[in-house]
Amino acid sequence: MRQALILAASLLAGSVLPLMSGETPDPARDGIPRLGVNFLIPYDRTPNDPAKQRGTLRTFGETPKGLNSFLDNSTTSTIVGLLTSDSLCERSITVPDAWQSSLAESVVISDDWKTFTFSIRKGVQWQRPACASKPAYAWLDRDVPMTAKDIAFTIEVILNPQVDCPSLRNYYEDIEKVETPDDQTLIVRWKRKQYTNLDCSVDLSPTPRHIYACNRDGTPIPAERFGAAFNKHWFDEIHGVVGVGPYRLEIFEPDNRAIFVRNPSYWGVPLHFDRIEQNLLVKEPAARLVAFKNGQVHTYALTPLQYKSEVLDRAEPRFAAFNESDPKAGRKGELGWERIKDNAFYYLGWNLRRAPFDDKRVRQAMAHIFPKSRIIRDVYFGLGQSILADAHPDTPYYHRDLKPFRNDAKLARDLLTAAGWVDSDGDGLLDKTINGQKVKFSFTIKYYANSPEWDNALGIFRNELKKFGIECKPTPLEWKELLRVYEDKDFDAVTGGWQKGWDLDYYQTWHSSQAEVQSGSNHCGFKNARVDELAEKLRLIFPIPERIAICKEIQAILHEEQPYLFFRSAEAVVVWQNLPPAGSSDRERWLDGVVRGLDEYHPLMVWNSKYYVKDRRYWHLRN
Amino acid sequence: MWAYVFRRLLWMIPTMVGILLINFAVLRLQGVSLVEELQLAQSDAGAGTARADARQGGGSTNLENYLDRFRRAGNDLPAVVNLRGFTDRVSIEARLHAASPSAPGKESDKSRAEKELWLYGRFAVLPLAAILADDACADLHGPASLAFSLCAYTSVSPREAQELPTELLNRIRDDNQFLRANRIDYRRDAGRGFVTSDKAAGDKRARLLAFIQDPRNRARYEVTTGDRWSSILGETGFTDVMGKLFTGQLWSETKKAYVFTLIGQRWQVTAWLVVLSIILSWGISIPLGIRSARRIGTVEDSITTNVLFLLWSLPVIFIGTVMLHHLCTESSGRPAPFPNAGLWTPGSETWPWWQRLTDWAWHGFLPLICITYASFTVLSRYMRGSLLDQVTADYTRTARAKGCSDDTVIYRHALPNSMITMITLGSGLLAELFTGFTFVENIFSIQGLGLLLVDAARQSDAPLVMGTTVISVGLLLVGILIADILYGVVDPRIRSRYG
Repeated sequence: MRQALILAASLLAGSVLPLMSGETPDPARDGIPRLGVNFLIPYDRTPNDPAKQRGTLRTFGETPKGLNSFLDNSTTSTIVGLLTSDSLCERSITVPDAWQSSLAESVVISDDWKTFTFSIRKGVQWQRPACASKPAYAWLDRDVPMTAKDIAFTIEVILNPQVDCPSLRNYYEDIEKVETPDDQTLIVRWKRKQYTNLDCSVDLSPTPRHIYACNRDGTPIPAERFGAAFNKHWFDEIHGVVGVGPYRLEIFEPDNRAIFVRNPSYWGVPLHFDRIEQNLLVKEPAARLVAFKNGQVHTYALTPLQYKSEVLDRAEPRFAAFNESDPKAGRKGELGWERIKDNAFYYLGWNLRRAPFDDKRVRQAMAHIFPKSRIIRDVYFGLGQSILADAHPDTPYYHRDLKPFRNDAKLARDLLTAAGWVDSDGDGLLDKTINGQKVKFSFTIKYYANSPEWDNALGIFRNELKKFGIECKPTPLEWKELLRVYEDKDFDAVTGGWQKGWDLDYYQTWHSSQAEVQSGSNHCGFKNARVDELAEKLRLIFPIPERIAICKEIQAILHEEQPYLFFRSAEAVVVWQNLPPAGSSDRERWLDGVVRGLDEYHPLMVWNSKYYVKDRRYWHLRN
Repeated sequence: MWAYVFRRLLWMIPTMVGILLINFAVLRLQGVSLVEELQLAQSDAGAGTARADARQGGGSTNLENYLDRFRRAGNDLPAVVNLRGFTDRVSIEARLHAASPSAPGKESDKSRAEKELWLYGRFAVLPLAAILADDACADLHGPASLAFSLCAYTSVSPREAQELPTELLNRIRDDNQFLRANRIDYRRDAGRGFVTSDKAAGDKRARLLAFIQDPRNRARYEVTTGDRWSSILGETGFTDVMGKLFTGQLWSETKKAYVFTLIGQRWQVTAWLVVLSIILSWGISIPLGIRSARRIGTVEDSITTNVLFLLWSLPVIFIGTVMLHHLCTESSGRPAPFPNAGLWTPGSETWPWWQRLTDWAWHGFLPLICITYASFTVLSRYMRGSLLDQVTADYTRTARAKGCSDDTVIYRHALPNSMITMITLGSGLLAELFTGFTFVENIFSIQGLGLLLVDAARQSDAPLVMGTTVISVGLLLVGILIADILYGVVDPRIRSRYG
């Protein structure tokens, strides 16, 4: 454990320092949350390069249900929010455990992690909405400063029971009180100590109270009408968006385009592009690939099949060829490509409530039989990493010392025999006498029907199992049916995946209470007193080294118990307009700086829209 | 003739309603129900806070938000037949017992039994109050209080929030808060069933009973015999959607816009393509069929037939994708001959009209080919076959014997008669083309009705699917009507029967 702690500490310290370049490092302000002091890394104004601030970045986007991020949580509305607004603090893109200053110049946490006192930056102005130029909205044609009350208003909106944001409200319902003693001070008091309080507090963004608290004519909305009025607010109906961020939304045409232009009065360091255009028209992956090849967008993420045909099979010669010994080979082509890691993982879950998977040895035997590396290579074209635990291998939370269950027929057979599974009647199938009845080793794996990759992967697994005398029946199911399977725990084995945030929580998936609760996420029925204790503790512990230690201990138990056969982490393939061919005069088409971002940022932050769209050092146009 | 047209028009109404009814029932079957939405929400809540696990039996907060969403879309009502008016205390008790964790059966069935009760609205309020008042049903007081608070809950639409008087809005808000605050907490125990875990259960129960004994509240939830019978067909998801359909109030939750506003923004694109493709396919297929029939048995006829069947065997989605990849894609230094997305160049609004027309033709060329090529085969082969039938008929032989030229025999005598088959085929053309667009608009990223339908189906947006289906069915019926009229025009027997 000591070794793990040292490793984590060195990772953190080593990566924080580059951020602080150009300033005198303040050891107390390393971004790692602690009580009683302002720990935020100061806002960094050094990566400001006016020579590169020009041009238009073009990307694809999806038309969201609406632009109001309270009512819609799609990727596009998140990106709209990120480009047009800022939050109190932001995660560091190089060390995601560290927080840096944004709209909050400081935060002090007190009262045993229950009270967060923010000092809000002065001189931040709300953007003036596009509609303010019309006579009907002349009352908006004025400068409005952003204050602590605008952030308190965000919490007020979330907590209003009539506002249609139930899942968001789940995270904030434990707020006891919000105070704004003056325009620059915000105090958020929570009812009880809980780790999620940290993320929920420091990630808050302001909401334009001067617009959303008012009717179309500028008169205030009475309290009794506010909730329902907010759900269909006049400002959302005219596709209005204002924020305090680096861009303002100039044009939004659903299913066509969204155009952002630079906010000239931005308080922070300007981003590189004068404009950012999102193409909302092209939706099909095949059509998107063609639009990308034609230079209509600067970047795109290939589907696995497109990666196979365009890159591996060289259907598009402008992509550099794949080179097993050089993971950065894709940077050499006219069109660039690179594999990008994603914090999601996939697994095979066993039902621990019934035979044959109620026996740990059988589950371990499955891990010896499942040809993980072969499937990743042949079915997923090498995309994804083999994993042994439910954290990404590139985070400090991942237990690197776990010993993999290697593909070994003898070990698997020994475990099955020890568990009582032998072919006693010579019919080629393993059997065992359970409660006086002879039972054959035959089971079903239920999985989501719309997944050709799982079709192939489970086909390979089935053939491997056959060699051991085990009958496996993969059964594809529709999404609704699969939900029912989870609810009824009606499976022998089931496939699944989890998208993880940076912070880990083991309560939801592994606490024994979640195996019994209706619609709980502990589908497999895993129960372990030590894991329960650790999962509860993890929700109350704030120091990162202690959190890492808890996560690793849980992972070691899970690895031994094998309730899941942890399979692979997700990986995407990002492509971009990389190098101009000889004689090209179209300087606006080619991006630069991508490679620097790929090398410098934390691997899991590279493709995280929450960060890359806003980073001041990332993509810019070639000169 | 007018009587004939009128009769046909009248038949269109039940046909349209029938098709919409089937469509709606299918959509309801595949859409997400409240039970599934809550299940997803609950696992989401588990991810967020430790408190989610403390609330069992679906007792998590914010249930009213989900109920509001369902009521807004009419999804809280049964699809076609509503028998909730006949719910009584006994049936609700049986339902709650069936939902108990100690009862036999699948978890998903129990969960559905309990959660579907929350959608019963005013019909279940008084029976639930009777259960709450009965000391013998103490084990059901927890889930009954939760169901009571949700059935008695009053949703306020944004329009009502604008229009209702302040006192009424305040009263609704206070009532809703009161109901929510007085839910009796309970937990699910596999051995003991529902177990009340609320120290204030007695007080809460007394307050809920006092609430329903207030004559003003009681009157709101009284259900008369008339209500019960009229709700069977009158208060269903289908009537809700049809009502909104005919008043133009159909609202798309995924696009956050009125369905007919969305259709209004897009119909022109599809209509233009439809008209042009009809002209193109008929303009080419009929002469091709006639020529083929007149040159039957020649090498030219064989080649035409084979080529057309080859084309017909290639699906639109395949040809479209091949075109997109080979005719619309830039490759090393060579620009693409055709554009890959949309029907016009961005910014072309300011160009002179002739330039815009050229731009439009350039963009529309491949999509048009794509939706038209398959119909060449069918139409021209039918034309050929039908004309051959007529050419060998006795009356054409007579015409020839009387000395009519070949052209006269074909164009004056045989062709009009062979057109009856073509009219039958043409009746479904409008609707068929509309379906073909779903692929073509998707591949060539054209913002028309087809793409809208694909989006709506993908996101299970029932009102939007219904709105676009109305257009599609309308086109089919209009096609049939036109065909019926044209039968009358070309066939004197029909004309004479209806005067």
